[in-house]
Amino acid sequence: MVSTEHYLFLAALIFCVGMFGVMVRRNALVVFMCIELMLNASNLTFLAFARQRGDSMGHVSAFFVIAVAAAEAAIGLAILIAVYRSRGTLNIQDIRTMKH
Amino acid sequence: MVFSECIRHAPLLECLQKSPVDAQSMAQMAWLIIALPLAGAFICGVFGRMLGRANTNLIACAAVAGSFVFCVLAFWAVNDRATTLISPFSRDPIRYALGHDFGTWFAAGSFRVNFGLAVDHLSAVMIMVVTGVGLLIHVYSTSYMAHDEGYWRFFAYLNLFIAMMLTLVLADSLPLLFVGWEGVGLCSYLLIGFWYEDAAKAWAGRKAFIVNRIGDFGFLIGMFLLTLWVSAFQAQTDNATGQGRALEQWRAGVSEQGPLNLRGLEQVALRIAPSFAPMAGAVSLQTPIQSGPLEGNTFGQVLVAVLLLFMLGAAGKSAQLPLYIWLPDAMVGPTPVSALIHAATMVTAGVYLFCRIGSLLVLAPAAMAVIALVGAATALLAALIAFAQNDIKKVLAYSTVSQLGFMFMALGLGVYWAAIFHLVTHAFFKACLFLGAGSVMHGNADETDIRRLGGLRKEMPWTAATFLIASIAISGFILPLSGFFSKDAILHGVHSSQLAGYEWVSSAVWIGGLLTAFCTAFYIGRLYLLVFEGKRSPDAPVAHAHESDWPMIMPLAALAALSVVALIYGLPIIDVGDGRQTLIENYLSTVFNLPHQLARIHRTVSVEQEGLFGAWALAWVIALAGGGFACVLYLWYLPSRRGAPLPAPIRTLARWAANGFYLDQVYDFGIVRPIKFISFVLYKVIDSLLIDTLLVRGTAWITARVASAIRLLQTGDAQSYAAVMALAVLCAAGYAVIQVLK
Repeated sequence: MVSTEHYLFLAALIFCVGMFGVMVRRNALVVFMCIELMLNASNLTFLAFARQRGDSMGHVSAFFVIAVAAAEAAIGLAILIAVYRSRGTLNIQDIRTMKH
Repeated sequence: MVFSECIRHAPLLECLQKSPVDAQSMAQMAWLIIALPLAGAFICGVFGRMLGRANTNLIACAAVAGSFVFCVLAFWAVNDRATTLISPFSRDPIRYALGHDFGTWFAAGSFRVNFGLAVDHLSAVMIMVVTGVGLLIHVYSTSYMAHDEGYWRFFAYLNLFIAMMLTLVLADSLPLLFVGWEGVGLCSYLLIGFWYEDAAKAWAGRKAFIVNRIGDFGFLIGMFLLTLWVSAFQAQTDNATGQGRALEQWRAGVSEQGPLNLRGLEQVALRIAPSFAPMAGAVSLQTPIQSGPLEGNTFGQVLVAVLLLFMLGAAGKSAQLPLYIWLPDAMVGPTPVSALIHAATMVTAGVYLFCRIGSLLVLAPAAMAVIALVGAATALLAALIAFAQNDIKKVLAYSTVSQLGFMFMALGLGVYWAAIFHLVTHAFFKACLFLGAGSVMHGNADETDIRRLGGLRKEMPWTAATFLIASIAISGFILPLSGFFSKDAILHGVHSSQLAGYEWVSSAVWIGGLLTAFCTAFYIGRLYLLVFEGKRSPDAPVAHAHESDWPMIMPLAALAALSVVALIYGLPIIDVGDGRQTLIENYLSTVFNLPHQLARIHRTVSVEQEGLFGAWALAWVIALAGGGFACVLYLWYLPSRRGAPLPAPIRTLARWAANGFYLDQVYDFGIVRPIKFISFVLYKVIDSLLIDTLLVRGTAWITARVASAIRLLQTGDAQSYAAVMALAVLCAAGYAVIQVLK
């Protein structure tokens, strides 16, 4: 029997991997994928708790997160394309416009 | 007395005594007296340049003339036997007075000031003098300022001055009086510095303004103290029972018109019990104040403080020691201004103030003694300085200071009517002298040094004649004219009055007055002789002086005539049972009976009747001696010694007197420089260092430094922001774990 703790530990692991990726990777596309990883880690947590409690609240939340992630991916990818077109690079170190 | 019988029964006079305007409607129209010159000032000031010189002259003179007409009507109405004023402060109607309350001016809590104007015999005399002399001087100015580019400015200021002076005189409460007080000070400043392109003249204006501010500060503090004093009186009589309905009425008046109303203050003075015969529950001057900020002091002590603060104000405005120094410097203004503001009207405001609060003044013999002594000291000092002045206007300025000193002597010993009489005659003859001096300057290319004039009698016959009449009026040599009578009324009154507890003051002041009278005759004699008699000085700027035009001659003649005619008021022709009164004393008795009555009740001033003719003879002999001395000195002794230097001690004395006994320098060294030094230190330490550098620039500097340090955190690198967020989440998670484990 796989207990809830196991799911939670896995989710935490995946979340940390994603977070680490967001912090250290230079390619914006990879950073983006890491964010997806973090979102899915949280989904896993929701589902683990839903299974433990035996109701559907966690499922609903997971679907909601998936919907938000889809929207975020659509907008984010569009931004990335626009950035690539204007600058010719996706290196996150070269896109430091938030200072201005 | 036959004359007074005539007055009573002559049909013409009978008819004249009936006023054409009834008192009630006159009182409601009283604001027009002020509004007309105010409107004139507005029109001249705003449209004067557009209207041109002739129209501006016309408007300025017409505004004052209109005001004069209203003043005549008010004077007439107030002299009507039927005229009575129902004051909210007392049940008894006040005879020979009219007034109207135009509603609340401002109110805060229980304190309130109403805008009310009142006319009684005292203010009626004053407004006649202000608008009458003012009108003559306006007419004179049209010719005197005929070549000045700033004519419109000049007439606007002059009209504004008349309006403010009338506000001062007509006000029925101290705060409104203070508005006029400040207004005339402002106009004085503007007109002294009228030719502001000349730095010395602009500075003289500032000096006058600042010295007056010192006095005004005293006036203001005095007014605040007086408010507290009145409310303490109110509170303490509240506690006492059985004070009667008169006090109830007064209290109702205070809640309706405020505590600083002049009629209300008179009522307070009336309700104070004599300190030697205390009544149960009544407040006397020895009663200590039980509550409020003045707690622990007696009513009498606070009253003396109030009156001395008012004296500081009056010393500033009326050029008394120690604040007289601005008046001689004020002579740099146009001569009509010197005549109107710095001789006839504004500088007498202090005298008027004390006459108005005369019923309070008689309760405080200590304050009276100070006022009398200051007056005597000022009169003597200024007369001595006038000896050695060589500027024709400076001599007259010091003479004005000296004559004002006379008026304060009279105030100090409670002889109010004599002070007012001297005020009126002084307004006539001193305005005449100043205008004469202006005429001399006009005809001699603005020369003011009397050593470079001389022999003008033949070239300027009208000016010389009027100047001579006014000189005789001020000094009384040759013939006793109006000034002789008014000055003698003061000396006589001073001599016959004694202040309780300060008996020596009377004789000290009297001797000072006699010496001053001698000096007056001397310096005026010197002035007249040097300017109009003898030979023309070889240094004279023009070979032949020309007589001035009629607009300048006419006021001179009118004022000279008035200086002569006013002597009628000094003759003791009214029979009042126990002795005779002069006309003016009898006329003003409607106002000054109350103070005299209070002085009798409280035994602060005791008056002994004594023969008048002996005093007249003495005063005349003294005036003759002074004038004669001047004649001998300047017609015979000095011309015969031309070229030979005077003995050394006399030269030293003359140098001291010419420099005003170095009082200006003493003030400069003792007061102005220390204040400048302290101000400099404060400026450098407090202002420049503490406020500017430390507080203002300091906060900006710290903010900038902190901001540039924090700016290092903002890299614009999204990953480092993410790292910070991750760190924060980690911390939060760690915190949560610790909390759970606990």
